Amino acid sequence: MNAIQTRGLCKDYQVPVKRPGLMGAFRHFLDGRTRTVRAVRDVSFDIGKGELVGFLGPNGAGKTTTLKMLSGLLYPTSGEVTVLGRVPSKRENDFLRRFSMVMGQRTQLWWDLPARETFTLNQKIYSIPEREFARRRDEVIALLELEELVDRPVKKLSLGERMKAELACAILHEPEVLLLDEPTLGLDIVMQEKLRRFILDYQRRTQCTILLTSHNMDDVEELCQRVMVINDGQLLYDGSLEKIVRSYAPDKLVVLGAARKLEAGQLSPYGEIVSLDGTSAKLLVPRQKVSQAVGEILSRLPIVDLAVEEMPVDHIIRKVFLKAASSGSGAAGRGLLEEEDGEERKEKDLHERSVP
Amino acid sequence: MNAPFPDAFSKYRTVFAMSVQRELTYRASFLMDRARSVTILIAFYAFWSAIFQDRADFAGYTRAQMFTYVLGMNVLNALVFSDKTWEMIYEINTGKISSYLIRPISYIGACVSRDAADKLTQMLSAVIEVALAWWLLRVPLYAPRDPWTYAAFAAAALLAVVLYFLMSYAVSSLAFWTAESGGPRFCFELFLAFASGGFFPLDVLPGLIRRTFESLPFASLLFFPLNVFLERLGPGDLARGFAVQVFWIVCSGFLVRALWRRGLRAYGSEGG
Repeated sequence: MNAIQTRGLCKDYQVPVKRPGLMGAFRHFLDGRTRTVRAVRDVSFDIGKGELVGFLGPNGAGKTTTLKMLSGLLYPTSGEVTVLGRVPSKRENDFLRRFSMVMGQRTQLWWDLPARETFTLNQKIYSIPEREFARRRDEVIALLELEELVDRPVKKLSLGERMKAELACAILHEPEVLLLDEPTLGLDIVMQEKLRRFILDYQRRTQCTILLTSHNMDDVEELCQRVMVINDGQLLYDGSLEKIVRSYAPDKLVVLGAARKLEAGQLSPYGEIVSLDGTSAKLLVPRQKVSQAVGEILSRLPIVDLAVEEMPVDHIIRKVFLKAASSGSGAAGRGLLEEEDGEERKEKDLHERSVP
Repeated sequence: MNAPFPDAFSKYRTVFAMSVQRELTYRASFLMDRARSVTILIAFYAFWSAIFQDRADFAGYTRAQMFTYVLGMNVLNALVFSDKTWEMIYEINTGKISSYLIRPISYIGACVSRDAADKLTQMLSAVIEVALAWWLLRVPLYAPRDPWTYAAFAAAALLAVVLYFLMSYAVSSLAFWTAESGGPRFCFELFLAFASGGFFPLDVLPGLIRRTFESLPFASLLFFPLNVFLERLGPGDLARGFAVQVFWIVCSGFLVRALWRRGLRAYGSEGG
């Protein structure tokens, strides 16, 4: 059974039409004109129980709007959405008890009081038995290293510290579906890593279904096997991260360190030179030619260090968006689907999805 | 299975306790707010002292009744008009209300708990202020003769609290449709302070205006409960006053329900 299911989901907003400047403000005051902006267009997907899915897209792509419809905060303009078999906008208690959401810039923690107080409030809200609550609270405090922080007023915490406390607060009732909007926002690299490990461990332990948005590609690479890419309100891709990497990164990055200065002429037969700086160089080599090229480079050039790397995921995702922008989102979306191989289609059938 | 009765309310008790804690966090704001009330109290005392310098009664009020009205108004103001529905406007405009909407807690229930915390702290302070005024200024006070008057006053004050909460909640709900609901809310409060009898007893107004205010919900908030306490109403006026309160509570209740349902559909969940 699917934990999350959407069919033809659309959301329109009315936004004020206002010309710039003071006169524009006066005119708008008098005519109050608005225009309709379609934030989400015909989005359909399924997420099975226990999946951890990354939801990617540039700012304003429709990620957070979709998440808000999944949480019941926004009513869809058209289309259907069910989470745990319920229509979120009905806000039935049975649904609210089994789900949680962490929004990057929206806190459920009480600003003037220590986070521990909101933890207690959530215990009451979700009717968590006292002993069970104490166990979960202490565990999450230890795992997220919140010992020093939970008794400080929330307003005294840094953004990263607040985000950790926010996540702790959101999972105390062990939700079956967790929506995370930018969970590592504002965290330092060490804490980002810890938080990712925490999310992964938590998901494995509880089999919770997680849908997360992030601009941090490390989050996506480390946490998600499946990604959905959205741009301009349309779903462009829904499938494995590995496939999108293969489709959009036909080359691998070969990083070289040499004992003597390298010349462009020595490298160009093997691939496209990305950078060349004396004894170090980076080459883009087609995937299928990597082993042959590496063999030849090692035998012909004075190489002392060599590494073969995947293209960074953020570059790949950027390529998806650029393609979408250059050919129009809808066309790009269809193009992307056409590029998928048979295995991808099978995977999609498994997810019972239907992107038009 | 639904939680047993006491458990179902524990979340609201916790919101209440946390709200009291929060009120006590902002001591300076609290004290400034009370200083404003004390200033108004002193101004009214000076004004009515001047009026009663050369007369025994005014607009049907004895000296003791008028000073009881003024001091009672200070306490009843704290009880009825202390509220946190201003926060609702902020929470809707900034999207902060989302954190309530995604959890199994009633937002209106949480608002009642927050209001109760505000009323408790404001009331404690108001009672102390009135006691001090009575002791320092030797203000003559009116004590009801009939013990049932206390019960009737308590009922009228409770209905006034419920009515004001529903009215202010309805006005604050406008924030679902406009980011400029702070303005209407401010005018609403200013008008209420006047029309409820918060500046002076409504008896001093021309008959038509007074009767209009008495039929509308405004007089039910301060003027009616205070007149119950001062035993200035006959059985007919008493019954009519309670009927007006209940009528407007029912109307406001339906209005709040309708606005809330429609408001959630219009809610944009701004930010984040």
